[in-house]
Amino acid sequence: MLFVWREALVGLRRNLTMTLAMVITTAISLGLLGAGLLAVRTIDRTEDLYYSLIAVQVALDEPTSAEDPDCSSPLCRDLRAELEADPLVASVDYESREAAFARFQRIYAGQSILQLVRPQSLPATLRVTMADPLRGGEIVDRFTGRPGVRNVVDQRATVADLFSFLGSVRNATFGLAIVQALAAVLLISNTIQLSAFTRRTEVGIMRLVGATRWYTQVPFLIEAVVTGVVGAVLATAGLVAGKVFFLDNLLSGRLLANTIPPIGMTDVLGYVGPVLVVVGAVIATATGYVTLRLYVRS
Amino acid sequence: MIRLENVSKVYATSTRPALDDVTMDVERGEFVFLIGPSGSGKSTLLRLLLREDVPSRGTVWVANWNVGRLARRRVPRLRQRMGCVFQDFRLLPNKTVAENVAFALEVIGKPRHTIRTVVPEVLDMVDLGGKADRMPSELSGGEAQRVAIARAFVNRPLVLLADEPTGNLDPETATGIMTLLERINRTGTTVLMATHDRQIVDSARRRVVELSSGRLARDDHHGVYGVAR
Repeated sequence: MLFVWREALVGLRRNLTMTLAMVITTAISLGLLGAGLLAVRTIDRTEDLYYSLIAVQVALDEPTSAEDPDCSSPLCRDLRAELEADPLVASVDYESREAAFARFQRIYAGQSILQLVRPQSLPATLRVTMADPLRGGEIVDRFTGRPGVRNVVDQRATVADLFSFLGSVRNATFGLAIVQALAAVLLISNTIQLSAFTRRTEVGIMRLVGATRWYTQVPFLIEAVVTGVVGAVLATAGLVAGKVFFLDNLLSGRLLANTIPPIGMTDVLGYVGPVLVVVGAVIATATGYVTLRLYVRS
Repeated sequence: MIRLENVSKVYATSTRPALDDVTMDVERGEFVFLIGPSGSGKSTLLRLLLREDVPSRGTVWVANWNVGRLARRRVPRLRQRMGCVFQDFRLLPNKTVAENVAFALEVIGKPRHTIRTVVPEVLDMVDLGGKADRMPSELSGGEAQRVAIARAFVNRPLVLLADEPTGNLDPETATGIMTLLERINRTGTTVLMATHDRQIVDSARRRVVELSSGRLARDDHHGVYGVAR
């Protein structure tokens, strides 16, 4: 066992530049994969966050908005009752014109837009929380154009843009990760061939004195696995650095705070890191094994 | 110990068989010279014994192994019981004499304490006890071949195959190597030595098997290299 490790280390040192290239490529590839995994995680969490907040807004027309502070008019009461009876709907809250204006003042406190907006510009709304946030469109279809209704807005459609943006970030990272992984696989395969070639005398002698496949091939596999694991560790370190120096600032800054939930250290070290180590080791082993099978006479 | 039954070997790249219907028997503990011009099939025969190749027809037995039909994963077991020595020594240039010999034991998983006791013994036996820490580049041809023999013998093989072991050596050194191989033979190891060295064959008066164009041309006990050739 000791012998096998020693041979592997000699091999890694002998092709030092190749080993470094292999480690770096593997690290970049795994880093992108890790970024993709973190993106998926964040998207899931963002969706959870938003789906608990978003609603379908049924805005009432001007007469109702102006004259009904508590949804007591027959028109409003009937709409509300119908919504509450719908199995797709979890709950319905009425927000009067005054309440809407108060909320508006709170959200945009200190900003110039406040001067432009009067209570009259805001409609009273029935805020419908959906039992299934994905089926808000059905409520929109059913209540649009009804008497007393100005318009119906599914807020999900508004945040859909954000999700599609996050989704394309994720897809792009995965795409890059796959291209890089291909490069890493080819490089590992190449290095093993080179390594086997430089050691062909040794391997020939090993075979003649009756060394089993274990002794002749495992050193090469260990080389590959060490590369994969070191690459994964570097990738994880890179993700930690990216989180601490870049994402933490970005996500807690004015623009994105409360828009995208922050990425925790446990996400990186407790989830993505181990995944990368396993993926790195498995891909490297598989590549090594296939290479030895295809190109190196045993 | 070694038995060939109607063995032929045809390589795809050649129309003429490298070995053509060869049948021979080598008893345990025998010393046999394998002679014949280049291309007569000596190396092919050794390759078949080591299972570097399989015969096209016929059966090759070494000890109780049917070598040609041995499963790939069992080949190492066969080779662990055989030693081989070559004209070009095949030492690892970046390992010392002792490490080269130890290498043969390490790769078959012998424990370290065994290696530490066995390697010096074998080096003493080939008269290289004092040169354990030399590098192969610091050795003469005869010394290098002794290291190769030590490596082949260190695991006490049943059979020692030697492919022109004296081919690169001057006559005096060659005689020394021959003496060493005879000493190994006396421990009970069967020795099969392919050679071109007329003087060695003639002075040893051992069994001589001659191949010619892949066929068995002669099999003399106590033979000489050639009759008026």
